[in-house]
Amino acid sequence: MSVHQLLYLIKESFRTIKRHKGVTAISIIIMSLTLLILAVFLLVTDNMLMFMSQAREEMRIYVYLEDSLDRSVIEDYHRRILSMLEVEQVVFISKEEALLEFREELGEESDLLDALDTNPLPASFRIALKSAYKDKNKIELFASKVGGLEGVEEVRYGKDFLEKFSTIMKGFLYVDAFIGIVVILSTIFIISNAVRLSVVSRKRSIEILKLVGATNRFITTPFIFEGALQGGIASFIAMAMLFFIFLVGVKFLPELSFFSPEKAFAFILLCVLIGSAGSFTALRRFLRA
Amino acid sequence: MEERNVIGVYHLTKKYGDQYALKDVNLQVGNGEFVFLVGPSGAGKSTLLRLIYMDEFPTDGQVVAGSFVSTTVDRKKIPYLRRKIGVIFQDFKLLEDRDVFENVAIAMRVTGEKSYEIKKLVIHILTQVGLYHKRNDLPRKLSGGEQQRVAIARAIVNRPAILLADEPTGNLDPDVTEEILRLLFRINSGGTAVLMATHNLSLVENFGQRIVHLKDGIIHEDRLTGLGGNPSDKLSEYRWNRKRLDKQETTGELR
Ligand SMILES: Nc1ncnc2c1ncn2[C@@H]1O[C@H](COP(=O)(O)OP(=O)(O)OP(=O)(O)O)[C@@H](O)[C@H]1O
Ligand SMILES: [Mg+2]
Repeated sequence: MSVHQLLYLIKESFRTIKRHKGVTAISIIIMSLTLLILAVFLLVTDNMLMFMSQAREEMRIYVYLEDSLDRSVIEDYHRRILSMLEVEQVVFISKEEALLEFREELGEESDLLDALDTNPLPASFRIALKSAYKDKNKIELFASKVGGLEGVEEVRYGKDFLEKFSTIMKGFLYVDAFIGIVVILSTIFIISNAVRLSVVSRKRSIEILKLVGATNRFITTPFIFEGALQGGIASFIAMAMLFFIFLVGVKFLPELSFFSPEKAFAFILLCVLIGSAGSFTALRRFLRA
Repeated sequence: MEERNVIGVYHLTKKYGDQYALKDVNLQVGNGEFVFLVGPSGAGKSTLLRLIYMDEFPTDGQVVAGSFVSTTVDRKKIPYLRRKIGVIFQDFKLLEDRDVFENVAIAMRVTGEKSYEIKKLVIHILTQVGLYHKRNDLPRKLSGGEQQRVAIARAIVNRPAILLADEPTGNLDPDVTEEILRLLFRINSGGTAVLMATHNLSLVENFGQRIVHLKDGIIHEDRLTGLGGNPSDKLSEYRWNRKRLDKQETTGELR
């Protein structure tokens, strides 16, 4: 395909959009609504995944130490834990620091603690694992290793929570992937049909083009541009509508967050692709018939 | 011999269901020749032309158009055949949403020609068919004769070796008919072979050209009328005869 032809075809696709405003408007509306459903799905997924990764991120393992342990032994343990493969970070919290933190947590009721004459809280290590080791089995293994050290009273990492969390997460991912496939396929299907609407409305033109010697590529290229352009415009509209929905939703669920600019851009790009793919498949079916 | 024919039709049969549209048709058109294909409605004229520009394919037999052979042609190459054959369709087939200029230019656009080349040639051709002043009009604003001339301009803009004209004088009044015929003869004198289908034998039998009679899908006669020669001279004769006949009809003078 020559450059002249490509330029001509790009201009031509803009001209056809202008000439067939009605059909274009209808297919953009259909596309926007379809893409809105896709966008809602993606935003929910995005928030769920972010919530999950945050929960994983904030997960800590607490190793409580007996009061009888020597300072030098504690320092030795600190070094040994830090050198373990799984460990990202270790913070030692002395009995005094633990009490201070507890006081802060209690806030106004911290007076209660003044009644105590000894500090009941143990010293501890607060350990953050590397993300590759934040898997249920690996955590258990790690916990039993550290728990085996002389003078360790208890290792706590929210075992129950972790178990529930990982089954819920697995379940969510399966359901989400299933819904995702259904939503994306129906999006392509609906868009491809919307495009077919405009293909059928130009059936006569396409036939004439074939009769005067146009190749299939010459015929399909403007449609693919148009599909891409419509996909892009529709995705902007869908994004705008989603943002309004988000503004309402965030009143009820303040933890909700909107797409990052990168993700919003990726969504638009995806829609441009879906638009051109929809055009392409609609035309393929039509040109073969 | 073969090489001098630009169209070759051999034992061509076309059936729609179990109805024959064409039956064992044989026809060769030489390079630069002018042939009238005459027959009543339903004779199979349009079908024969469609088979030549390979919009359809034979039930049996073979069509050769230029270097394209119906039995072996790669369907992907058919656009290139269409660029070598100019076709004037019975129903014009103009793009309703594009102006006259674009309707002619499109035949060159599909070939990937440069824009300024397209402009130059399209303006030239539009001037030739007398439509330069209407270049920005949409087809629906044109008269039947003008639309026909747009169709002709589009068919010849790529300077094809073959021009197929399906009833190009169909619904036109005698003056316009004459104009169109004059145009086709001129194109032919430039070396383009013309195959023109018409149901109107009386219109074409006095031009001294080869006439092929088609009826019920069968060729009944293939003959050269008169002595051949320059059809444009005959056109003047045709005009003179027509004027006389018109007069007869209106005044009854010579009755
Ligand atoms: N696509 C088709 N399907 C079925 N029958 C067809 C088809 N095209 C043509 N025919 C039949 O083939 C026969 C020849 O038709 P064709 O259009 O070639 O006639 P024609 O000589 O061009 O007539 P006209 O002068 O009216 O244009 C007719 O009987 C017609 O009904
Ligand atoms: Mg016909």
